[in-house]
Amino acid sequence: MSLVLAADYRVPDFDHWWAGLAADLPRLPGLGAHHVVVYRSLQDASRVFVTIGVRERGPVDALLRSPLMLSWFDSAGVEEIPPMFAGEMVEKLDLSPQTEPPGAPAAGSTAAGAVIVAAIAPVGRPDRLRASVHAAAARLAASGVQRFWIYRALDDQAEVMILLQIATERQAGQWIRHPGAAAGFMAEVGAGAYPPLFVGRLVQAIEVRGD
Amino acid sequence: MYICLCLGVTTSTVQQAIDAGARSTRQVGEACGAGSVCGRCNHTIRTMIEAAAPDPPPSKPARLRRRWGRT
Repeated sequence: MSLVLAADYRVPDFDHWWAGLAADLPRLPGLGAHHVVVYRSLQDASRVFVTIGVRERGPVDALLRSPLMLSWFDSAGVEEIPPMFAGEMVEKLDLSPQTEPPGAPAAGSTAAGAVIVAAIAPVGRPDRLRASVHAAAARLAASGVQRFWIYRALDDQAEVMILLQIATERQAGQWIRHPGAAAGFMAEVGAGAYPPLFVGRLVQAIEVRGD
Repeated sequence: MYICLCLGVTTSTVQQAIDAGARSTRQVGEACGAGSVCGRCNHTIRTMIEAAAPDPPPSKPARLRRRWGRT
């Protein structure tokens, strides 16, 4: 199963970073990466949420301390290295299957225009979260949630990354204000090292090709 | 989550160091290594230390107000 790395951080100059990103991509196959998905916050233009899908599995700590990983942040002008989530997808719920972008296998890639809500938090029992999400599927769909991904951390079986694709910004705001029973994890979002809730839009899902 | 990429130190390991009494990034580094190589994760470690700190004692004027029943 593919490993997913994710981080929530700020880039000092988004446009400069984005313009130079093409130069970084050819190096990523050295990490075993096959996709990079970039989201940009709706509230803070310098804040991004980036997921990197990694096909070739080795020790995660060896992957993270690769000079390629540090150079990823260096080229973005990021001085303070953010915490990195490393995990595997354990749930992908398509509540509105017609929104599936054709040929888009990347972790958490969303339909254009949709809003992504991302959270990393300890949940205690990820299996209970999965069950509660399944039980609330109809209500989630009615509130505009189109897709719901859950990734379980490799280093902590109680920690998850959750990505929701929600149809509109207004519906995303409503869901955040009234997340319901399937969102007990919201109480832990932003505590300690965990980043605050991320609300943004897909910038691009990039397939990484090694030459 | 992985806090220190240089040494692969996770949130739970850093938290254990803080729970065991580490109150500075230097003490966390001594306990588990996190932040001791490049130091670029120390801001996250500081955030965790601050989150674990008990609420500060009330300031002196607040204590006096409480003692003398002033508002």
